[in-house]
Order: sequence, then C-alpha cells, then structure tokens
Amino acid sequence: MIRLDNASYTYAKGSGVSNVNITFGDDEFAFIIGPTGSGKTTLLRMIYMDLMPQVGKVVVDKYDSSKIKPRKIPYLRRKIGMVFQNYHLLEDRNLFDNIALSLHVIGFSKNEIIDRVTESLEEVGLGGKEDRYPEELSGGEQQRACVARALVKEPDIILADEPTGNLDPVTSFELIKLFEEVNREGTAVIMASHDYNLIKGRGHRIVEIQDGTVRQS
Amino acid sequence: MDKMMFLLSEGVKNLWRHKLTAFTAIFSTFLTLSVAGSLMIVGQNTNKVIEYLRGKYKIEVFFNENVPDKQIATVVEEFNKINGVRSTTLISRSDAGKIFKSQFGENILDIVGYNPLPVSCVVNVVTFQNDKMNVMPIVERIKSFPEVDEVLYQGRLIYRIETYYQKFVQVMTALLILVLVITVLIISNTVRLTIFAKHELIQALQLIGATRSFVKAPFVIEGVLHGLIGATLAAILLIAGVEVGSDLLYSVSKFKIQYSPFVLFGILSSLSIVISFLGSSRAISRFLK
Repeated sequence: MIRLDNASYTYAKGSGVSNVNITFGDDEFAFIIGPTGSGKTTLLRMIYMDLMPQVGKVVVDKYDSSKIKPRKIPYLRRKIGMVFQNYHLLEDRNLFDNIALSLHVIGFSKNEIIDRVTESLEEVGLGGKEDRYPEELSGGEQQRACVARALVKEPDIILADEPTGNLDPVTSFELIKLFEEVNREGTAVIMASHDYNLIKGRGHRIVEIQDGTVRQS
Repeated sequence: MDKMMFLLSEGVKNLWRHKLTAFTAIFSTFLTLSVAGSLMIVGQNTNKVIEYLRGKYKIEVFFNENVPDKQIATVVEEFNKINGVRSTTLISRSDAGKIFKSQFGENILDIVGYNPLPVSCVVNVVTFQNDKMNVMPIVERIKSFPEVDEVLYQGRLIYRIETYYQKFVQVMTALLILVLVITVLIISNTVRLTIFAKHELIQALQLIGATRSFVKAPFVIEGVLHGLIGATLAAILLIAGVEVGSDLLYSVSKFKIQYSPFVLFGILSSLSIVISFLGSSRAISRFLK
C-alpha cells in the first residue's frame, strides 16, 4: 500500500506539489494525468523517496518517509520497479547486463540471474535480443527493455513516468497492455502521463494533478 | 560470493570502459610513484654515502712525551667509553716509525738518530646516526685528559658534510610528502572525472536499490587497480634504471647502489593501494553526499 498524507514538496524555483492526500492499493492500476510541469514526476519521486516531503509524509509498505533512515531507502526501491520516458538504459552494456544489474544489486546468484533475465525478456517480447546494445534497439524495444528491467526483480509496485512519451500510438497502447498484464499478476502499477486519449476508457482509476494539486476521479 | 565477483569484475571492466581516464590515472600514478621511488632509493643510498664518509672521519690524538705507555693504554680505554666513539687505534712510537717509512721511504732513525715521533691514537666515530653528527663534544672530552698533547681533526669539513646532509634529508622528506599528496589528488580527481562520466550508471544503480557501498565498490576497485598498475610500471622502470645506473656508477666509482627490488615493489604497491584507496573513496563519497 502507498499512502501520501498531506505531502508537499516545493522546489527552489517554486513548482512542486502541495497537500497531497492519496492512497493506492496493493494491486491497483492507476493513472496520474496532468500537463507537463503539473507535479506528476514530483509525486512519483516522493513515492520512491528520491524527494522527501517537506510537509506531511509518504508511507510505502513499512517504509515511512518521516522515519526512514537514508541507508534503508535502497531496500524500499528494491520493491519498486521504475520505468522512465528516457529509458535510462546504460549505453555501455548489452540488454542482458542492463537488466541483470537490478538482480546483482539485490545479490542473486549467477544462475538465478540468467534464468530471470531470460524469462523477463521473453515476457516483454525481447527474447533472443540479450546481446543487443540499447542503440541497436528501436524506441519501443528500449522501453520494453526498461519494463523488463523493472519486472525482473518481481517488484510489488511499478512506477512509470511518462513511459509512452517517446513512443508512437501503437507502441504506446502495446506498452499499456503489457502493464495491464503485469497488474493482473498482482503488481500495483502507477503510471503518469499527459496524454488523456491514451488512458481514457480503460477502466482504471485516474488521478488528476494540476499545478501541484491533486484531484481524484 | 556472486555479488563480490560482480563488483570485482565491474571494477576490472571499468578499466576498459573508461580507457582514457584509466590511461591518465595510470600514467599520473606511474610518474609520481617513479619520482617517489627514486627519492626513496636516493635517500637510502645517501645514508650509505654518509655512513661511508663518517667511517673516514678521523680524530688524531697525540700524547705528551713523558706519559708512560701503560697510562696511555688506560687513557685510550677511556676514549672508547666516550659517547659517539666507534673504535680507537693506538699507534706506538715504533708503529709511527713504520708509518713514517711507508710514507717517506726512509727510516726516521737513520735521519735523526732517534725516534722523535710521539705516541698517538686514531679515534673513529660512529657511522650510523640519524641526526647531525657533531664531533666537537668528543674532541673537547679528549682534550680534557692531561696526558693529551694535541688533537687534530677535520672540523670544518665534517661540519659542512653533516650540514649539507641534514638539509638534503629535509628536502627529500618534504619532496616525498609533496609527491604523495599530489598522487592522492591526481587519483581523486581522475576518479571524479570517471564518476561525472558515469553519473547515469550511478543514478541507475541508486534507482534500482543499490546501497552506497555497492555503488562505491567498483569505483574504488577501479582506483586501486589504477594505482597498482601505475606502481608496477614505476617499479619496472626504477629496477631497470637502477640496474643500468648501478653498473655504470660501479665502473666509475666502485659504488654499488643499495636496494632490494622486492622491497621497492612492495613499498610502491602498498603505497599505491593506500593512496588510490584514499583518493577514489574520497571522490565517490563526495559525489554521493
């Protein structure tokens, strides 16, 4: 469960989010919708505790932003899979090594890593492309690789920040379908987007954010 | 175990991934450790030179004519007890005559009809002493014996040699410290360049739940490898240089450069591990703050 209690964060330049009160369930699929600069990324960054609320708190599972020690934050992030608009794949290593990195961090054995990475790449439709480097993949493939990297550690939550921002409409819909499959298997998915047409009518909860203030649907 | 192997292999792979920074760091470490190693060898051998020169310091003591030989022998025994005296050699009248003959080729008895040479003693000072050697207290103590007629020694020369030696030691120590500090700074700054170049990797690692030590380890391992490779190259250069230089020097001056290749490599590699560990830890810790 993710809970934001009266959480606020204001950047030095002035923007941010204020007084956010919202809860996401364990197996929920939710969209956060709002224009660029409305505070979607800030909200997600507070959930994975890259930003700590200046007022209020964020609680993710047993991790409470008001009490957590900095050295414990990595353990929270191991429960969260993150997908970004700009992929954040490492250019100097192939797909296998990019995805395996999450498992090395947690301390999986070599054999487990091979099994999980292979399985995860199959799941996102990139089986057989383990040796490819990010620059050898299309935008859609790179984004699916990011999803594989997020899924490989079997997280409790997927946070996706504008994951379709660089994709064409068809690839974007395929990505959302992939998230829905993941969600059906019990992983909570919270996806931020500015494209209402992409998310409308899918039957998921939509949280609207405007100028740093949340309005739920 | 697999995690350790991964961190180790990441450190090694980083050497290849960051070729330019690796080359810069290794070359800088090689240069600075070569200078440091040279200073150490010069320092060690300067000690040998000063010990050799001190072995040549001589205080010649001439006794009064009327003092019996037995009493002179007792006085010489007392000389041996003076702090800073290594050994003494008593030169009897007949010994002095033999020395005269060996130096001038004539017998003193044939020239003047009797042996006018006084009984004397050569006092040798200790050769190993870290601080500046001052022979004046020894000379003063010897002069205080009433049996002593005259004391001859190379006072000004000894003072100059000892003063220059002390200045040399001070300059060498300061240079060595300076070189080591420069090495730490070079390694630290080179690792910082690597870190800036790899900020995406660090960010990705932090986002997927890597602990601080997991993020730091490959950079520290990479830094230590830079240091070790630089130290090995410096040791190879110095050993080759000393071997060639020593032969040349020996053919000219019969002076053999004293050093142990194993000790030199051991000191340089240990030094490189310590300074590269400090340099790289400092750089990555500052970045992760």
